[in-house]
Amino acid sequence: MTSPAEPLVAQTLAICHAARAAGLPVTQARAIDVFRALAMIDWHDAEDYRLALRTNLVASREDEILFDRVFAIHFGHSEFEHDGGAILARSELLRGNLEAGGRSNEGHRDMLTEADTFGAQEVQRRANLAARWDADAPPLEQIIRELARRLATRPSRRNAPARHGARVDLRRSMRRSVRHGLDLVELARSARKTRKTRIVMLCDVSGSMDAFNPFLLQLMFGLQQALKSSRTLVFSTQVSEITQYLRRRSVVETLGEIGDKVRHWSGGTDVGAALRELNRTVLREGSARATVLIIISDGYDNGTPERIAAELEAAKRRIRTLVWINPMFGATTFVVRAAGMKAALPYVDHFLPAFNARALHDLVKGLAAVG
Amino acid sequence: MTASSAWQHPFGRVDDVAATFDAHDYVADRPLCLTTKLAFDLGKPILLEGEAGVGKTEVAKVLASALDTPLIRLQCYEGLDASAALYEWNYARQILAIRLAEADEARRSEIDSAIFGPEFLFERPLLKAIRHPGPRPAVLLIDEIDRADEEFEAFLLEILSDYQITVPELGTFSAVHKPCVILTSNRTRELNDALKRRCLYLWIDYPAPDKERDIITKRVPGIDRSLAEAVTRVMQGLRAVDFYKRPGVAEALDWARALLGLEIGRIVPETVLETAGVVLKYRDDISRLGKLDLDALLQGKAIEL
Repeated sequence: MTSPAEPLVAQTLAICHAARAAGLPVTQARAIDVFRALAMIDWHDAEDYRLALRTNLVASREDEILFDRVFAIHFGHSEFEHDGGAILARSELLRGNLEAGGRSNEGHRDMLTEADTFGAQEVQRRANLAARWDADAPPLEQIIRELARRLATRPSRRNAPARHGARVDLRRSMRRSVRHGLDLVELARSARKTRKTRIVMLCDVSGSMDAFNPFLLQLMFGLQQALKSSRTLVFSTQVSEITQYLRRRSVVETLGEIGDKVRHWSGGTDVGAALRELNRTVLREGSARATVLIIISDGYDNGTPERIAAELEAAKRRIRTLVWINPMFGATTFVVRAAGMKAALPYVDHFLPAFNARALHDLVKGLAAVG
Repeated sequence: MTASSAWQHPFGRVDDVAATFDAHDYVADRPLCLTTKLAFDLGKPILLEGEAGVGKTEVAKVLASALDTPLIRLQCYEGLDASAALYEWNYARQILAIRLAEADEARRSEIDSAIFGPEFLFERPLLKAIRHPGPRPAVLLIDEIDRADEEFEAFLLEILSDYQITVPELGTFSAVHKPCVILTSNRTRELNDALKRRCLYLWIDYPAPDKERDIITKRVPGIDRSLAEAVTRVMQGLRAVDFYKRPGVAEALDWARALLGLEIGRIVPETVLETAGVVLKYRDDISRLGKLDLDALLQGKAIEL
């Protein structure tokens, strides 16, 4: 075993720094492991050197690719260039104001004018959420909690231990009695388990949805916080999972991170491709009967309606219930014009309006039947 | 606590790992060999990610057989809990022991300590791996960790960093020999960062054509080179198609064996269609196959719908 020479240490540290700067999770412990690893291999071999660093510093396939790029740049192969996508995506993400967004169309306009026609309490709840992203709207949070509760509680056939359960659990009572030499001292009880529902949320973040971004973000954030086991994915022309970022407590941090990682925000729309990706990954595993898929999209799509129909048909075999939340739906003059939406309708179990707080309230009432 | 210093792993150089894999008919590339060597050197688990059927599980099997040590497998699933992964008391036997002791006046006083002894413990995979007496460490395969709940991952963290398990009635078991741990994931969800940090990471991709041909020749005895090449060509072509489940190496091997069993020496389009069920497992995928230009596929040309 050779001990690493001075220049090697400096170079390795430099690569570790570069990797950390590029966003890889290079902790102190990992850097130490890198040096422990170097003592074990023939680091004169450039390939082994690269692999030893990589296997210690990365945590996913994307990281592997990123690391290879950092490594190449360090050794002067400059064919890789950083793209400015992150900055672009971040600015798009924070541009959550309807008036400033400038992408309004007739559906959006309907929504704005309609709010004036209700009574005082109604107006408060029908407030256009697009304009009030950072208002810490407590009514919405309450509704989300209610939504989460309705979606995720279903009594199971199975029983679980419960101190004041309705049934006497004989088996467990027996086990407990072992401690007391088989005298039944106390009865163990059980109650019906709550069956876990897995919620997969697929959100359209293409350009046509920009006006609803604040509402979407609030909904995604709220649902993920309320239902830890749910998964959230966003799509435009690509699909990205953002579940892990939504788990953070700080909204600002989360938004920043999503902005960094999701670079196709405000892009085109390919619902079919997104569904295909979902069918192939997230929906492939786990119990179909426990899964509720929520799609939030206006249904404006660049792909073919046939593809959406085919993918939805496949998806329906992998889930229990399909809920489609359309922010354009609910305005009085709304008619289903989007071809993609039309193709999808036959497969949708619950087609719900949700472009503001009042609509979301209706949505929650509608979801009582989902359980 | 006993350190695992007594046992010296046999992989002094990366080439030794390569030779071992080779001797067990597993075609391993440099990254896998190097990661394996480092896992033994540093005593860290390996996290293998990749599509289903690229040979992740096989790595553990090969290592177990190469080290001549038991392969302890924990298949993960939704709802996997500590009693299925760690240990459980054998209640039936405990009750029996109590009944027997009641009949025997002399033994009644010692029954309390006796029924919580190791012989009344069902060892589940994790405890088994920790308690493995040696002389060589066990290979612990934690398969498809992405299927387990996230709570289970957090629970694993503790075991994978300290290699010890506490049973309240008995005390703490520390690993005599740190097991060689291999975690696999099909990546249907992202794993916890904390878990990943404790592991050496490796993504296993579908093999390149040459490698896949070598795998088929090694794993399917009696196959001739031209058939192995034809199978490889079709497989590589099929993986470029947008199927729900792209065929992995496991499917390639199944198909090669099927063709050999059917005594088919030359693949024609009809063969592909008739045996499609070996390679593709979704009805949609099979009907899609029917629409492809199979002649082009067999010649290894790029195919488009």
